[in-house]
Amino acid sequence: MKILALPIEMVSYTDNKGYIKPIRFRMQIDDEPMDVIKIDKVIVRDTEIFAGNIMLVYKCQSLIDDVIKLFEIKYELATCKWILFKI
Amino acid sequence: MIYVVNKLIFHIDANSAYLSWEAAYRLQQGQQLDLRLVPSVVGGDEESRHGIVLTKSIPAKKFDIHTGETLYNARAKCPNIVIVPPRYWLYMKCSSAMNKIFQEYTPQIQRFSVDESFLDFSNMEHLYPDYMKLAVTIKERIKKDLGFTVNIGISNNKLLAKVASDFKKPDRIHTLFPHELEKKMWSLPIEDLFMVGRATASKLHNLNINTIGDLANYDLKILKNKFKSHGQVIYNYANGIESSSVRKSNYIEMKGVGNSTTIPFDVCDKNTAHRVLLSLCETVSMRLRDSRNCCTVVSISIRGSDMIFYTRQKKLIVATDSTRKIYEIACYLFDNVWKGDPIRHLGIHLTNFCGNDFYQCSLLDTFNYEKDSKLNKVVDEIRLKYGHKAISKSCFLHSGLSSMCGGIGEENYPLMSSML
Repeated sequence: MKILALPIEMVSYTDNKGYIKPIRFRMQIDDEPMDVIKIDKVIVRDTEIFAGNIMLVYKCQSLIDDVIKLFEIKYELATCKWILFKI
Repeated sequence: MIYVVNKLIFHIDANSAYLSWEAAYRLQQGQQLDLRLVPSVVGGDEESRHGIVLTKSIPAKKFDIHTGETLYNARAKCPNIVIVPPRYWLYMKCSSAMNKIFQEYTPQIQRFSVDESFLDFSNMEHLYPDYMKLAVTIKERIKKDLGFTVNIGISNNKLLAKVASDFKKPDRIHTLFPHELEKKMWSLPIEDLFMVGRATASKLHNLNINTIGDLANYDLKILKNKFKSHGQVIYNYANGIESSSVRKSNYIEMKGVGNSTTIPFDVCDKNTAHRVLLSLCETVSMRLRDSRNCCTVVSISIRGSDMIFYTRQKKLIVATDSTRKIYEIACYLFDNVWKGDPIRHLGIHLTNFCGNDFYQCSLLDTFNYEKDSKLNKVVDEIRLKYGHKAISKSCFLHSGLSSMCGGIGEENYPLMSSML
């Protein structure tokens, strides 16, 4: 996996206990057309408080171009931004 | 000598705080480069002439770069140095996160400054039988959770704990108990002792005192004669005697408030200088009123573009907390002392406090204090509710100057103090 740190657009689901589940996201690398990726499975969910900044870290798995890929997405609580961290 | 045996104090200090916090934050945001591993500094904005080194990385230390030096100098010493701007909100966040972890271990915490704290573990030997193990736990937790390293100093009092945490960096634990004084502290140069600054150090060198050990074994009478009460203080410190408690709040009764600013350009005319003074008055007098004090001494300080620094002060007949009155006096002082040379830095300092519950009028003073204090109260309230920029004097419009200057720009930012 390589660090990408790409800001992405996310559709997520929050249950009544405050648990946030990422469902699908849209990203664009350089000038290529937008890519929509459906998150098939969240493997691990973790909280990171590096430098006092809280981020939710999701290690996920999806089928991208007929290949099963592992990747890591992060949600920054302070700014409500999602990033595709590693793929 | 009698030691209180069962006291146990930790001093925890973040290693190159601003820099490692910035580095941890950047790594979290996906940057590949770890600032801590390359020569790098956190530095102020050079455009507005605040370009000094605030914190340096350990590789930068090898290039002989010092804190407080200009960025220009730093670049001359190491041409490919990485310079990052400061982010005070991030530092507050890191400091609070660190404090939150400490609170899980003891309720007795003194936040000594933004990056260092004293933790009191006295009489907790049943809870934490091995203090070394406890220190390792705290250190590793901060490293794992928050992504930066700390130094921990362990001793029986705050002074020795602070000295111990300064020994070897980064990511280490040191002890300095009274029986280790001779071995670990006395060989250090005198400059390493808390409360010995540049001025005291040179005076001590004149007495042929070069190490802390020299000072500890010196004749107290001579020290007292030379330094008065400060002589006793540093003599005690050199012998590891210090007994202040871990105060939960770092609040010390104020003896003065002051604000100063380095102006982005050289000020050459009186009107602009007065405007800068007014903007400092706004900040400083609001702080004065907030502390519920009135002052009876106003002093101003000026640093010219030639770096020569001078101050003037005036004692008032009537104690005041009025922005306008303080401004009038500041201008009076300024007009008397300024000879027309370009100004780089201006400051205002208020001292000699008394309560603001009532004030003594003077027959010779025509100033309407009552009316003015009502106005100040309203302005303060508006600013507290809607922010500092909500209301300002019209003379600051289009002047390029901030209507309230001085300070870091973050509320309640804890800075180091000279009192343990």
